[in-house]
Amino acid sequence: MLTVQNLSHDPFYNQAFEEFVFQTFREDDVFLLWQNTPAVIVGSYQNICREVHVETLRKLGIPIVRRMSGGGTVYHDLGNVNYTYITSQDGLVDYDRCLQPVIEALNDIGVPARKNRTCDIAIGDRKISGSAQHSAGGRLLHHGTLLFQSDLAVLDKITTHHKNDCFQSKGTVSAICSVTNIADHLAVPMTLEEFRTRLLDRMVPPGSPRLTLTPEQEAEVCRLRDEKYRSWAWTWGKTPAFTYEKSGTFAGVPIRVAYQAKKGMISDAVIDCAALDGAEAARLLNGSRLDPEGFAGICRALVGKRAEELMDWLL
Amino acid sequence: MEKELTMPKLRPEMENGVLCAWLKEEGDTVTAGEPLFEIETDKVVNQIEATESGVLKKQLFEEGDTVNVETPVAILETK
Repeated sequence: MLTVQNLSHDPFYNQAFEEFVFQTFREDDVFLLWQNTPAVIVGSYQNICREVHVETLRKLGIPIVRRMSGGGTVYHDLGNVNYTYITSQDGLVDYDRCLQPVIEALNDIGVPARKNRTCDIAIGDRKISGSAQHSAGGRLLHHGTLLFQSDLAVLDKITTHHKNDCFQSKGTVSAICSVTNIADHLAVPMTLEEFRTRLLDRMVPPGSPRLTLTPEQEAEVCRLRDEKYRSWAWTWGKTPAFTYEKSGTFAGVPIRVAYQAKKGMISDAVIDCAALDGAEAARLLNGSRLDPEGFAGICRALVGKRAEELMDWLL
Repeated sequence: MEKELTMPKLRPEMENGVLCAWLKEEGDTVTAGEPLFEIETDKVVNQIEATESGVLKKQLFEEGDTVNVETPVAILETK
């Protein structure tokens, strides 16, 4: 087992770092620990708008990052520690192979953790860790969260309170689970730094290779960050095809909004509302990208100062 | 010769998987080992690779479709 140090807290960089290590270190088992500043991380095949309230995140300045593994939406902050376990794979799905060593390591350092459901780790009945996988070319990437001292109120607000039923779509829907922080269940308290160090020492014993990327490798990670993880095509273009419909009252009169999106491109758009120019709305929306910034611009063009209010009808 | 690629059974309990993405279009040339499509089951995204070289003749399902295990997903024209 080897590890590669990653001190970055940039959620886009960190997804790229993980993918780069997955593609580059083909022989050894790899264990990584890493942390993100507040970010929402969605599964490879999820409809972002159905999972979270995009406008709320935009106002809070919390980025949305799509990852390469399956599963549901998670919230990361600096109270959460992520781990990645990369190993060879015979083609079959087996979570226990990756989960058991992590659970044993947690137990060894004083965390009373146990396996729960297929791929969760819990203390009692409450989840402290969720995980997901990506496999390709005979290699498996397993990664998971470890809630150490996350802001659970924000997590709850972002991931559970804004399910949006206006989207009719295929794609993976997140499960909602009761969660708890590891720090609240320790007989002997430790800091997050101590937790990271002890877990790493247990998974990658002293004497095993502890690597850092060369400047050339770091440049590759940055290229992947910019060309893939920060791109519209990856984050929004990968949204499973959906149809959207919502109606109610806007500016005191009835409104009905409907459109479709395939590979992130809008078609069949209708905004039926006496308070705005419906023909212009259809012209602006059809052929446009499913993109919150772009939608905000369209709303400003249609209704000026009421743009923010109209946004709530479009996503 | 035509060769079918099926939805693999990745866990004993697996009944179906979602075809998330085609990585090759109909008519594309593929070499053995190259990823053809992606499936998701149990929070795992799996890239399914071509077992032989040839041309992707037919995509039998659309992205987003749920496909039962061992059902043909793609037809590969091999030499």
